[in-house]
Amino acid sequence: MGLELNFNLDPRTKIIILVILSFMVFNDMSLYVSGILVLIPFICLLFSNHKKSALMYIVVYVLAKYIQIYILPTATGLEAIILITFSYTTSRMLPILMMGYYTITTTKVSEFISSMERSNIPRDIIIPVSVVFRYIPSVYEEIKSITDAMRMRGFGMNIKSLKNPLKVIEFYMIPILISAVKTADELSAASLTRGLSNPEPRTHLLEVKLTKVDYSLLAITFIGFGIYAYNFLRGVLIA
Amino acid sequence: MSEMLNVKDLITVGIFAVILIVLIFAFGMLGYIPILMLALPILAALICGIPYMLFLTRVSKFGMVTLLGLILGIVMFLSGHTWVPILVFTLFAFIADCILKMGNYSSIKNSIISHGVFIMGIMGNMLPFFILRDYFMEAMRVSMGNDYVNVIAPFLNNGVLIILFILTFIAGVASAYLGKIVLKKHFEKAGIA
Repeated sequence: MGLELNFNLDPRTKIIILVILSFMVFNDMSLYVSGILVLIPFICLLFSNHKKSALMYIVVYVLAKYIQIYILPTATGLEAIILITFSYTTSRMLPILMMGYYTITTTKVSEFISSMERSNIPRDIIIPVSVVFRYIPSVYEEIKSITDAMRMRGFGMNIKSLKNPLKVIEFYMIPILISAVKTADELSAASLTRGLSNPEPRTHLLEVKLTKVDYSLLAITFIGFGIYAYNFLRGVLIA
Repeated sequence: MSEMLNVKDLITVGIFAVILIVLIFAFGMLGYIPILMLALPILAALICGIPYMLFLTRVSKFGMVTLLGLILGIVMFLSGHTWVPILVFTLFAFIADCILKMGNYSSIKNSIISHGVFIMGIMGNMLPFFILRDYFMEAMRVSMGNDYVNVIAPFLNNGVLIILFILTFIAGVASAYLGKIVLKKHFEKAGIA
């Protein structure tokens, strides 16, 4: 247990892997072709304090593949529709969804900004995206406290309140929007005092760079993608 | 674009992007019920009108709405919806921006129509499903027989996609109208609209 096996990837590596995994969604291949690409999110999650989700991911994926190969040919009726929907969406969408989950949960905002600025992405995109990452957790806090406040006044989420969904939406939406407008003003004042409007290039406390782990994982991804693309093109040419 | 948009505009775009994302994801949970998945863009369109109209009260420059669409697309991409939403969202947001510009960013009619166009970008999340359609059909043909597929095929074709687009547009316009009312009821009184 004392062995430290965790690694953290450069945000750029995560994004490249995410782009490559996106191609998988359009095409279903047998497991020996897409196997390497399927394993990449598993490896990433396993070595980054998300062991539970890694195991759950692989179990669900294997289950979906099992259903697709062994149970589907004999299934009929309504059962078959549900099984087809489950197994086909899972086997295509789950790897990339898990990779997205990994990217969001393991990337720090400062890391993200620093690596984006090094790859010369315009400021107009970097600032809103970093605000998004920063603000999502506080929106959840906000929702929690609004729920508490509503319960205190006797508007808890129960069957009675669900009879009037418009009211529920209004009660949630208005406080969130008012606080959002306030936050936008405060945040821009705070970042202006810190010199965010300065056009000069910025320095970073946290330097990101591509390490050996990044390169090896990228290499594995490209090998997997190569096999995948080769099989896909061959299938197209024959058909 | 860099000369025109200042830091305050960029932060406003970020904050409102978060609110739209939270709303879309909250309703996305309903998508686990198979049939409702098709109705998802319409539900999302019905709800996003209020924040969008409040966002428009802060917009007076070309580019902010386009940027909002681009950011939404990027977040969708990062959370695993493939890169299709980036293209679709940005395209529709750009058209919405042009419509707003025609109304000089103050016409109420143009802002309501622009929400209808903007929210059609959510269809970008659905498009992969329609691209995958053939695989679903093939798998069903094997296990359920031809008759069944012939019955269900009409519900999964491009016509349904177009109908979904139109319904999303109508829902978007309706919810923008609702947003205008809510804006008058709550925010103008509080002095922030």
